[in-house]
Amino acid sequence: MPRYELALILKAMQRPETAAALKRTVEALMERGAIVRNLENLGERSLPYKISRHKERHKRGGYFLIDLEAPPSIVSPMMDHLGRDIDVIRRAFIKHPKVAKAEECGGIIPVSPEEKLSSKKN
Amino acid sequence: MAARAVAARRPWQRLVPAALWARPRRLQHEGQPERSDQPIHMENPYEDPPKRCVLCGINVDYKNVQLLSQFVSPYTGSIYGRHITGLCNKKQKEITKAIKRAHVFGFMPIMFKNPQFLTDPKLCNIKHPE
Repeated sequence: MPRYELALILKAMQRPETAAALKRTVEALMERGAIVRNLENLGERSLPYKISRHKERHKRGGYFLIDLEAPPSIVSPMMDHLGRDIDVIRRAFIKHPKVAKAEECGGIIPVSPEEKLSSKKN
Repeated sequence: MAARAVAARRPWQRLVPAALWARPRRLQHEGQPERSDQPIHMENPYEDPPKRCVLCGINVDYKNVQLLSQFVSPYTGSIYGRHITGLCNKKQKEITKAIKRAHVFGFMPIMFKNPQFLTDPKLCNIKHPE
């Protein structure tokens, strides 16, 4: 199953409420057949810009990162579900950025002037 | 293939005998026997290794806001172009995509540079002429 990363910004709340919100999210994910690998807390920080959500203007939020393996069919229903949750300010599903990407860079290969001229679109 | 294309553009070759325009076999240099004093073809041992940009070998992530902020204007928050950052094509594209993602996901401010990162070392040469 492909790996996804769910970047979640929750409303700045007290610890028990945040825990409850996360528990709700993870349970909803597992219900739909996702395997949650890891849950990271990136801390509570002030948002880069004020976000209006669910009739409230938020300035601070708790950033969370959920590493999961899930079938692609749950992405849309999960986004809907999180959209209806009043504690979630922003949600984002991304394909998990694998760490092996950076190894293949071979440096800037110089392009000869003839190639540059022949490939010009004009 | 190039020879065939060249031949197609010179139809007069069939009317004029080859003795007048072709190089005589005696003087052609391709079929000559190999001599030991000819230079040996080898790779240039003094060639510089390929130039690397600042981010060669570094993994670019949308969560790494400090790294992304180094390629953004402190006054307007706009992303610097390739001629200013000096990155290779691949890395410039990766940085642009990561910055736009960070904007949308609520990790990085859009209209300005995060004041926390204003004193970071400068990677971009803003005075670079276009």
